[in-house]
Amino acid sequence: MNTAVSESASRHPPLILMEGIRKTYRMGSETIHALNGIDLRVDRGDFVAIVGPSGSGKSTLMNVMGCLDTPTSGKYLLDGADVTRLGDNRLAEIRNRKIGFIFQNFQLLPRLTAWQNVELPLIYRGMPAGERRAKAAEVLRKVGLGDRLRHLPGQLSGGQQQRVAIARALVGDPPLLLADEPTGALDTKTSREVLDLLQQLNGEGRTIVLITHDPEVAARAKRIVRITDGMLAEERGMAS
Amino acid sequence: MKLAQGVIMAWGSVRAHPLRTLLTVLGVLIGVASVTVLVAIGQGSTRQIEQQLQSLGTNLVAVNIIGRGTLNSLSAEQIDRLMDMEGIDAYAPVIAGNVTVKAGNRSMSAPLEATTADYAWIRNYEMERGRFLLDIDNALAQKVAVIGPEVASELGLADPVGETVMIQGVPFRIIGVLESKGSSIGGSNDNRVFVPLQTSRVVLRTAAIRTVYVRVAEPEYVPGVVNLLNLRLTNLFGGTSGYSVFNQQEMMKTVGDISGTLTAMLAGIAGISLVVGGIGIMNIMLVSVTERTREIGIRKSLGAKRRDILFQFLVEAAMIGGIGGLCGIAAGLGGAWIFSRAMDMPAYPSPGVMLLAFGFSLGVGLVFGIMPARRAARLDPVEALRQP
Repeated sequence: MNTAVSESASRHPPLILMEGIRKTYRMGSETIHALNGIDLRVDRGDFVAIVGPSGSGKSTLMNVMGCLDTPTSGKYLLDGADVTRLGDNRLAEIRNRKIGFIFQNFQLLPRLTAWQNVELPLIYRGMPAGERRAKAAEVLRKVGLGDRLRHLPGQLSGGQQQRVAIARALVGDPPLLLADEPTGALDTKTSREVLDLLQQLNGEGRTIVLITHDPEVAARAKRIVRITDGMLAEERGMAS
Repeated sequence: MKLAQGVIMAWGSVRAHPLRTLLTVLGVLIGVASVTVLVAIGQGSTRQIEQQLQSLGTNLVAVNIIGRGTLNSLSAEQIDRLMDMEGIDAYAPVIAGNVTVKAGNRSMSAPLEATTADYAWIRNYEMERGRFLLDIDNALAQKVAVIGPEVASELGLADPVGETVMIQGVPFRIIGVLESKGSSIGGSNDNRVFVPLQTSRVVLRTAAIRTVYVRVAEPEYVPGVVNLLNLRLTNLFGGTSGYSVFNQQEMMKTVGDISGTLTAMLAGIAGISLVVGGIGIMNIMLVSVTERTREIGIRKSLGAKRRDILFQFLVEAAMIGGIGGLCGIAAGLGGAWIFSRAMDMPAYPSPGVMLLAFGFSLGVGLVFGIMPARRAARLDPVEALRQP
C-alpha cells in the first residue's frame, strides 16, 4: 500500500481523500491498470505537484481527481462528500462548483471572447447575466487581463490565454484548482509568470494540485508526490 | 440554461458558418416556399371563383344548352314551359355572341347578350347611368343597348346615354351604362353589351336560346327547382347530356372540394420536402458535433450536464430549421408576387398556412436534431478533451 501524508496535517477535514483508488481499462484484449491503489490526502491550502513520466498514470489520476472519470474501485472523498459512485449529472455539478481546471493547451473556446470564455462555468451554474458578467470581469482583472476582455483567444498570446484559462477556473470560486501541465505550451519567461500567479493564488488560500513531468515546475509547489506505474510515493514534505 | 442563453449560443454557431447554414436550410426553405407560393396561387384562384359564384347569388340557377343531336337550343315557348313551376321568381333567356361596336371612327369587339328585362335583377347588375332594358323594349324589338363602362371609355363616349352606336353595322341607341364589376378569371366584366332578346336576329343572326338565368324565390327551394329542371330537360333531350344546370351552392361545394384536394396534395409535397430538409439538418449537425467534440469536452469539464449539451444542439438544429422556414416564407411571398404580376391573377398568401409551415420547419429542425444532440450529450469528456 502506498501512502502519501501531508506535511501539515490539519485538523480540518481534507479537501481530497483518496483511498485505494484503482482504475483499469480494457484496450482490445489487454487490460491496463492505470491506477494501482492510490492513497492520497490533500488539505485545504496545500500546493501539491504530482510528478511522473508519460504512461505513469498521472493524467488518469487527474481525470479521477477532477471527477471527469470514476475509479474502478476505492473511495474518493472530495470536500467531505463521497464522489466515488456518483452519476453523470452529479459529477457535472461537482466539477462546476468544486473544481477549476487548467489545461496544458488552455482549452478556450475559440469563437468566444475572453470575457465569454470566463463566464461559461457561471452560465452552467444558472447565474443571471448581469451578475456573472461582473464576476467574470472582476476575475479577469485580477489576473491582469482587464483590458483584454473582448479579445478572442486568437488575439492573445499563449501566456495571456493561459491566464484567461486560470480566470475561468477561478470564476466560480472553487476550492480546488487542478492544473495539468499548465506551462507545457509556454516559453520559460511566460511559464515563470504563470507559476508566479499560481503561487500567489495558493498564498491567498487556494488549494492547487499540479500535474507535471518537469521537476523545475514541480519545485514551485509546497509538496511533491511522485507517480510511477499507477502508484504514488511522497518525495518532499512527508512526515518522517 | 435558460432559453435566451441557448438561443444566443446557437446563433453564434449558426453565424460562424454562414454558407454551410444556408446550404443546410435549403431543403426546408424550398419546402416552405413552395407551400407558400402554391397555396397563395390556389387561394387566389379559389377566391376568384368563389367571388364570381357569390355574385351569382345563392338563388341563382343557370341552365346551359350544349346540344344533342338535332336539339341545339330551346325556343321561347319551350323555355316558358320549362320554367313553369313553383319557386321560380323570374327567368331571363339569353342569346350570346361577339360583335363589333362602332362609334364615330372608334370601334371595338365586345361580348353581346340579347336578353330580357329581368336579367339585371336576376344577376344583380346595377346601373350607373340611364336604365336597363324594359319589357316593352322587347315587345317592340327596339334597337336599344345597355353597355358596360369599358365600352363607353373605349369608344370615347363621355355621356353615352342617347348616343347611337353601330352594332354589326346596325344603329342602336344607348339607354344605359352599367356599374363596374371588375375583372375575373374570364377577363373583364365591364365590356359587355346588352340588347333586347327580339333583336338577336339583327345582330347575331340567330334566335337560338342557349342560356337561361333563373332566380329562385328562396335558397331552400333551389334543390327542388334544380331537380325539376333536370327532370324536364332530361325528357326534352332524351338523356342527361346536352345540357347542364348550374346552381351556386353546388358549385361552391365543388370548388371547396377541389380546393381541399389541392391543399392535401400540397401538404404532401411540402411534407416530402421538409423531410429531405430535415435529413440535411441532421447530417450537418452530426458533422458539427464531430467538429466540436473538443468544445463539448471543455464545456463538460466546466460543469455542463448532458441536458445542457443536448439543449444547446437542439436549439441550434431548431434554429436552422426556423431560419429555413422564415427564408422560405419570404421566398414564397416573393414568388407569389412575381406570379401574380406575370399572370395578372390574384394570389392570396394565407397567414395561417405560413405560420403552420414555419412551425413545421422548427419542428423538423428539432426532430432531426435529436439524434446528433444526443450523441453530443453522451460524449465522454475525457475522450472529447483529447481531440484536437
